[in-house]
Amino acid sequence: MVTKLRSSPRWREDNIGVSMIRIQKEDVDVAMLVSGAKQRGSGAVVVFDGIVRDDGIEEMELEAYEEVALPELEKIAKAATEQHHLLHVDIVHRVGRLSVGDNILLIVVSAGHREEAYAGSRYIIEEIKKGVPIWKKELTRDGGRWVPGEHPHGSGP
Amino acid sequence: MSVKVRFFARFRELLGTDLITEYRQGTVLLALVHDIAGKNPDGYNAMFDEKGNFRDFVIVMQNGRRIDTMNAGNIAISDGDEIAVFPPVAGG
Repeated sequence: MVTKLRSSPRWREDNIGVSMIRIQKEDVDVAMLVSGAKQRGSGAVVVFDGIVRDDGIEEMELEAYEEVALPELEKIAKAATEQHHLLHVDIVHRVGRLSVGDNILLIVVSAGHREEAYAGSRYIIEEIKKGVPIWKKELTRDGGRWVPGEHPHGSGP
Repeated sequence: MSVKVRFFARFRELLGTDLITEYRQGTVLLALVHDIAGKNPDGYNAMFDEKGNFRDFVIVMQNGRRIDTMNAGNIAISDGDEIAVFPPVAGG
């Protein structure tokens, strides 16, 4: 008699619907987020990892109005979930001083299909760029400059 | 009566942040921020135009809700309010 072995499912039964929406100084374990994003019904996980680009800078300093930024991120995650039928969303935005190559922002989404996962991830990053109160300052040898934000009348100073 | 005024990013560097400010009854939001920013000409010029209005890119929140800066001269403040003033956001 042959016993059929069934491998254990790769989705997590213990965290369905639980998302990580955070603003923090610490880095994040991307592999752990990907693993946690796999839900029953997931067919695709999309990871967006925004990192500090080497634009001739030494470091980058990030600042947030956390009391407003965190609820905004939660609102964006909820809207993305509803509009793009996502099964899981994590958004982790870092603040503090970061070096070239460091992670700034992790967005991890899962959905039944790639179209929804890509669209949901794209929606989240664009909404963050539009309105979440977080700022970046590029620190160079000569001092630093604030990265100009976008607004309807053109870039700020 | 007092309010907390918070500046962020470049405005914070020029003016400080988490400023607990006493105000007189009837003071409107625009006048309150004028008074505080007036202590540093660079800070003042960064957020106000030559007519004393908020520059069009400046974002102002009262208790976490964005207000129309064109109307800041008519907005009353209340004891314990938190006013936040900041330049366009650049997260992500």
